[in-house]
Amino acid sequence: MQEYDVVVIGAGFGGPVAAKKCAEAGFRTLMLERSAKVGEKVISGLTIPFYGFLFGPAFIRDGNPPIERPVDGIVNYIIKDIEAGDMEIDDSLRIPKPLSPILAFGYNAYCQPFCQWEAEKAVESGVELRTSTTVVELLREDGRVVGVRTDKGEEIRARLVIDGEGSQGLLAVGAGIREKYPPEVISLADVYDYEMAKEDVDEIFGYTLRFCWGWDEQKIAPPLGHGNGLMVWPYRESVHFCQDQCLAMDDGKVPNLRKLFEEYHRNLTSHLPWWKEEIEPRARLRARVFENFEIFVGLNERLRAMPNHADGIILIGDAAGLESTELCDGVPAAWFSADIAADVAIEALRAGDVSASFLSRYDERVRAHPIIQWSITAPHRYNLRFAQEHHSLEELRRYVHDGWGLGGFAFMSTALVRMILQAVREDPGIIASWLRMFPRYYYNWLHERYDYSGGKGEPPRDPSREPRAAQAVVRGGLRLMDAALALGAPLVRAAAGLLEPAARFANPAMKLLLPGIEALMRGWKKVEPAFVPLSDRIIRFVGRADPATFAAPERGGR
Amino acid sequence: MARTFEEFPGVEWVEGAGLFIRVIEERCDGCANCVKVCLADCYEISGKKARIRDLDKCMECASCWYVCPRDAIEFSWPPGGTGFRTDWG
Ligand SMILES: Cc1cc2nc3c(=O)[nH]c(=O)nc-3n(C[C@H](O)[C@H](O)[C@H](O)COP(=O)(O)OP(=O)(O)OC[C@H]3O[C@@H](n4cnc5c(N)ncnc54)[C@H](O)[C@@H]3O)c2cc1C
Ligand code: SF4
Ligand code: SF4
Repeated sequence: MQEYDVVVIGAGFGGPVAAKKCAEAGFRTLMLERSAKVGEKVISGLTIPFYGFLFGPAFIRDGNPPIERPVDGIVNYIIKDIEAGDMEIDDSLRIPKPLSPILAFGYNAYCQPFCQWEAEKAVESGVELRTSTTVVELLREDGRVVGVRTDKGEEIRARLVIDGEGSQGLLAVGAGIREKYPPEVISLADVYDYEMAKEDVDEIFGYTLRFCWGWDEQKIAPPLGHGNGLMVWPYRESVHFCQDQCLAMDDGKVPNLRKLFEEYHRNLTSHLPWWKEEIEPRARLRARVFENFEIFVGLNERLRAMPNHADGIILIGDAAGLESTELCDGVPAAWFSADIAADVAIEALRAGDVSASFLSRYDERVRAHPIIQWSITAPHRYNLRFAQEHHSLEELRRYVHDGWGLGGFAFMSTALVRMILQAVREDPGIIASWLRMFPRYYYNWLHERYDYSGGKGEPPRDPSREPRAAQAVVRGGLRLMDAALALGAPLVRAAAGLLEPAARFANPAMKLLLPGIEALMRGWKKVEPAFVPLSDRIIRFVGRADPATFAAPERGGR
Repeated sequence: MARTFEEFPGVEWVEGAGLFIRVIEERCDGCANCVKVCLADCYEISGKKARIRDLDKCMECASCWYVCPRDAIEFSWPPGGTGFRTDWG
C-alpha cells in the first residue's frame, strides 16, 4: 500500500492551492483528479473577483495565470417589459477611466487552462499528480479517515486527506461527514459559449459584464430569486452566457428545467435588442454545457453549520459549502479555504495530531474569514424573490443595486477593509505586490503570456519600442516602495493593527458616503471622455513595457 | 475514443464510463423529477418508474441525484478519464 503525508482529492480551483503549500512544507503530497486533463470537468462562469487575487495564495497573485479578459464592472439590465423593449440600466459598479482596464474588478477565465496552470505550479513544488483517477471511497479506521480507495481498487493511505471534490461532495456525503444539500439551495446553470472576433468583443463589451433581470412572467431571465438572473461574460475572443435556476422552488416543486431553459434562451435571444442586433450577427455557438452550483447553502443556518472537517480530513471550497450567494464567486473562497486548510494540515502533521478536535481550528479560521463569511451570507440574490412576489420595481432596483451595483460596498466594505489590514499586518510588502499585479495581468492578457504548458510563452520583444524612461521611473518607484515597506514594516504593521478595530465602521461609513460617491461617479462619467487619451497612453505604456517592470520581487512569500 | 453530439457542441464523451448512475426501482415512485431536470434527456418514465435511457450525453451534474425525493438514485462518478470533457467550461 502506498503512503503519503497528504492526499488531496480534486485538482479544481482549490485542490492545487492546498497541495502546493503542503508540498512546499516538505510533506509528501499526492493530488488525485478524475479527469484525464486537469480542469476539463470543471464548468463555471467565470469572473474571479479582485479580492481572490489580492488576498489569496501568493503564487497566484505574483504569478502569470491564464486569463481571458480583465473586468471593469457590470451593466445590469432591468427588463421591465421585453415586448415594448422597456428596460433600465444600473451600471453604477464600474471602474472609471483612466484607471480601467489596468485596475480591474476581476478577471474572466476558462476553467480548464486556469486549473491546469494551478496544478502545474503545484507539481513544480513537488506535488505528485495523478489524473484519470476517481476516488470512490474514503478509507476509515475506527471512524478516522486514513486514506482513499480509487476506481482501480488501489488503497492509498494518508496521514491527512484534504477534500476538494467540488460541490456535490459525493465522498463527504458518502462517508457521513456532511449531508447532501437539498435541491432548493442548488442551482443548475445552462451555459453557452460563443466565438466572436476579439475586435467585436472589444467594441461591444469592452471589459464590462452584462447581467439581465426580468419579471418571471416574461420568461427571459430565470425566475427572480430562484436563480442567478442571466449573465453574459466577455472573454478574449468569445462570450460566455449563463442562465441558471434552482432545482426546486420554495414550495418544494421541481420545475421542468429542460423545457424552461430552452424557452428562456429562445425568448431572450429573439427579444433582447442588444443580443439580436449586436451579438447574434457576430457570434457563433461553440459549446453548450451545464453544471450545478450551491447557490444558497451559505444562507441556510443549518447547512452552514454542517461539519467541514472530521478525524483525518478537511473539506475545502465547494465541498465545504463555501460557494458565495451574491456574486456566485466560489473561486476566492476555494482559494482562501485551501490556503487555511494547508496551514492547519501542516500544523497538525507537525504536532502529530489529525483529530477532529485539533482540526477544528480550520473551522474557526474559515468562520473568522471576513470575505468568506460576507460572500456566503449576503442576502440580495435571495431577496430578489420578494421583489417578484410584490412585483415591486422599487425593490428590484434596490436589490440589484445592492448586489451588483455600487450599493454593494455598503455591505462588503467592512470585510474588505479587515482583509486589507490583516494582509498588510502580516506582510507590509504585499502592497507593492498588489500594485504590480494589475499591470502585469493586463500585460499578460494583451500578449497571452501565461507561464504553463498551454501558454504561448514570452512574446517577442522589441527593446527599441520600450518606453525606457517611463518604465525606469515606475520600476524605480516600485523598488523604492519595497524598500520603504521593508524599512517601515514595524510602523506599517502597528498602524494596521491600530486601525483594525475601526474596520467594523466601514459598512456604516460607506452607507453614509455612498450618495456622495455615486454623485461623483455620475459627474465623472460626463468628463470621462476627456480621459480616454490618458487611458490609452497608460495601456500603451503597460503593453510595451519590459514585463520585468511588474514582476513580483523575490520574497519569502506569505 | 470520444463521441460528440450536435446538441452539445464543444463537449466530448470519452468511452468507458459505463452505467455510473442507477435507479433503485423499489424506491422510485415515478414522480419524474429526474426527467424534468436532466438537460441531457437521460431519463424516461416507463411503467410508473424512472428508467435510464442511456448516459451518452450525461454531463455529470448530479441534478437527478439532488431532486430525487425517495433516494432512489444511486450516484457515482464514472471511472477516471472517462465521461464528459470540455475546454470551454
Ligand atoms: C455555472 C457556474 C458559474 C460560476 N461562476 C463563478 C464565477 O463567476 N466566479 C467564481 O469565482 N466562481 C464561480 N462559480 C463557482 C466556482 O466554479 C466554484 O466555486 C469552484 O470551482 C470551486 O472550486 P473547488 O476546488 O471547490 O471545486 P472544483 O473547482 O469543482 O474542483 C473539483 C475537482 O475535483 C474533481 N473530483 C471530484 N470528485 C472527485 C473524485 N471522487 N476523485 C477525483 N477527483 C474528483 C473534479 O473533477 C474537479 O476537477 C461558478 C460555478 C458554476 C457551476
Ligand atoms: S447527472 Fe445530470 S446529466 Fe447526468 S443523468 Fe443526472 S441530471 Fe442528467
Ligand atoms: S426522481 Fe427519484 S422517485 Fe422520482 S422518478 Fe426519478 S428516480 Fe423515481
